[in-house]
Amino acid sequence: MSEVIDEDVVDVAEQRVIDRADELRRLQRREAWRRRLPLLPALLFTIVVTQVPFVLSLWYSLTDWTIVPPSPREFVGLENYGELLDNRFFRDAVWTSILMTVSSVLLSVLFGLGLAVLLDRKFFGQGFVRTLLITPFLIMPVVAGLVWNTQIFSSSFGVLNWFLDLLGFERIEFVTRYPLWSIVAVLVWQWTPFMMLILLAGLQGQDSSVLEAARVDGASSRAIFFQITLPQLRRYLELGVLLGSIYLIQVFDHVEVITGGGPDSTNVPYFVFQRSIGGGWQFGQASAYSIVVVVASIIIATFGLRTLSNLLEGETP
Amino acid sequence: MTGRHGRGRRPWFLLLLLLAAVSLVAAACGDSDDSDAGGGDGSESDASEAGDDGGGSSDGGGDRSINVAIVGNPQMEDIATLTPELFTDETGIEVNYTILEEQTLREIVTRDVGAGGEQFDVVMIGMFEAPQFGANGWLFDLNDFAADTPAWDVDDIIPAVRGGLSFDGGLYAAPFYAESSFVMYRQDVLDAAGVTMPDAPTWDELAEIARTVDSDEMAGICLRGKPGWGDLGASFTTVLNTFGGTWWLANDDGSIGEAQVDQPEFREALEFYVGLIGDAGQDDAANSSFNECLSLYQNGEVAMWYDATVAAGILEADDSPVQGLNGFALAPTKVTDASGWLWAWALAIPQNSPDPDTAWEYVSWATSEDYINAAGEALPGGWAAVPPGTRESTYANANYLAAAEAFAQKTLDAMLAAPIDSPGTTPRPGLPGVQYVGVPEFQDVGTRCTEQFSAAIAGSTSIDSALSACQDIASAVSN
Repeated sequence: MSEVIDEDVVDVAEQRVIDRADELRRLQRREAWRRRLPLLPALLFTIVVTQVPFVLSLWYSLTDWTIVPPSPREFVGLENYGELLDNRFFRDAVWTSILMTVSSVLLSVLFGLGLAVLLDRKFFGQGFVRTLLITPFLIMPVVAGLVWNTQIFSSSFGVLNWFLDLLGFERIEFVTRYPLWSIVAVLVWQWTPFMMLILLAGLQGQDSSVLEAARVDGASSRAIFFQITLPQLRRYLELGVLLGSIYLIQVFDHVEVITGGGPDSTNVPYFVFQRSIGGGWQFGQASAYSIVVVVASIIIATFGLRTLSNLLEGETP
Repeated sequence: MTGRHGRGRRPWFLLLLLLAAVSLVAAACGDSDDSDAGGGDGSESDASEAGDDGGGSSDGGGDRSINVAIVGNPQMEDIATLTPELFTDETGIEVNYTILEEQTLREIVTRDVGAGGEQFDVVMIGMFEAPQFGANGWLFDLNDFAADTPAWDVDDIIPAVRGGLSFDGGLYAAPFYAESSFVMYRQDVLDAAGVTMPDAPTWDELAEIARTVDSDEMAGICLRGKPGWGDLGASFTTVLNTFGGTWWLANDDGSIGEAQVDQPEFREALEFYVGLIGDAGQDDAANSSFNECLSLYQNGEVAMWYDATVAAGILEADDSPVQGLNGFALAPTKVTDASGWLWAWALAIPQNSPDPDTAWEYVSWATSEDYINAAGEALPGGWAAVPPGTRESTYANANYLAAAEAFAQKTLDAMLAAPIDSPGTTPRPGLPGVQYVGVPEFQDVGTRCTEQFSAAIAGSTSIDSALSACQDIASAVSN
């Protein structure tokens, strides 16, 4: 019996403690908002200022604005969006964008991970090698595209074809024969260092005592990597994939410089360019396309991240 | 683990929330912004006007300067190097050149001229744009200026060229050089192979010669394969015309009718073109246009080249490695009598140029007989390298005829033969044109279709799918 009473007393006391904690939390939250309130106008201002171009595009996307031949700008409602679904070239561009983004993000994460693991070890000249590896990311996209196009891929002056020649193979016109993969190759080359840097930060943030303990317990390097290091890296991988997707879905420079558009290399940004200032002069339509890209970027980033998250959760012990 | 999980997830949710909030705000603002967007044009051009005044380029006085956009072809690069000495020293007008690739120049100029920018005082446009821009009211009518400048003899301009740059009696651009297309070939290579080129070959004869002289070291023929309506589009359309095909039928009112890309003639022309490049064409054909073919030909890597007549002046210039080795023949035909194109690069003054009089001073110098004479003396390439095809006086100039003996008459013949009024076997929509259709929509359709054709040349897509894609692209603009 006494045990029961005791339990009740404990329960009541516990309840009181919980209540007080709740109260405290509520107060804290109110206090926090009171402190943030003066910042709200600034936040609103920032949102308005940064979103004006987006709002203008939104408006243009509802008009049939064309400058060649010049015509009055008229409101056409959602017509541009309706046409978009029927347009096989837009669908092609979407597909190219997806392939281009997914493959370059995944490949650069993969290579970046490999390089990061190698760089995580101590060796002579580590800093120098790291600097060398970062360089591709620091090169302007247009320059990178030009260098690859004229000096590496080119069938007359390119290094790759010189090698093929040397080995007795036929020359390959990389850019025109495999437009998509040529662009992906350059993107991977440029973005691997970025992924490497992020993942390297993750690797170096590992608790070395945990790794040591695992080693003492007789875990193999493989097991340590997959069961300790990789889960630890998850947040860094997420970050890399997220930033990579957001940037790479907007790739324009590489397409312009390397192939200048065409089947298998016109991605959505290039398509938007072509419909608007690149000869199509259909600003209304092009705005509609670009709005779709914004929405798609958000969706793709969401899905990509969630998938990766689930994938890694499965491997967590 | 769960604790860390929670923490890991939170910033992500915040980000999503923020994005959602942003798009809500954006949507909400959409309505109130209507009037603003409508007036956007006015305020934009006001702003750029203010910016230009701040730049202080047109105040008159000693340090006048103008901005000129030109195509990066050899003759244009020549004038850019000669300008400081021949023009600025005389007049005190500083000329800032922006040299661009053809396709880029078109985009920038159309945007600048069409949307009311004031980036350039003088722009270089082609025969395709001049009458269209003139009709849109975007350019000054140069006849008004020419009336006050007798030294710039407007009647000396070759009539076909003048006609092509005019609309409704107004001359909207001054020709810098003009050209047709013809076949250039290495006489020594053909002699060694024991073949002779007729003066007016057919495409079948030309293809046979190309396949005969083609070898591992030297391709039989260089043909444009780079996407762009003015690149592959120009060469291919002359072939298409003479094969009896066309891009669109014309409606009675001259507007764009049914697309004809799915017709057998179109397929025959494309198969011929792609097949010839595959059998006897240059390496990396899908990537080459005028400048690439020029360098291949000068390096001795191709035996023949079908392209603009203006190239002949560069091949026969004093500093050319193939000077004196070349023969020239009219553009090849199939079912029509003549197939060469007609083109001019010309200088125009946009309506919103801040200082049209200074601009005209430059234009009337750059396109004058005097410039041609001065260039003939000053250029390392000599007289053969002066801008050809614009003035009758050039073809009466003894110095020029001596240096350009091999091709001067052939160029003139080709230009006169260019079937500007009836390039194919069917009437076409829009303004006259040989290697293009004179409607604004052709720019976009031509470029996107030639992307498909170029991919077919490279082998990354099939002729069937290129044709079906192109038919869809062309159909989208027909009425």
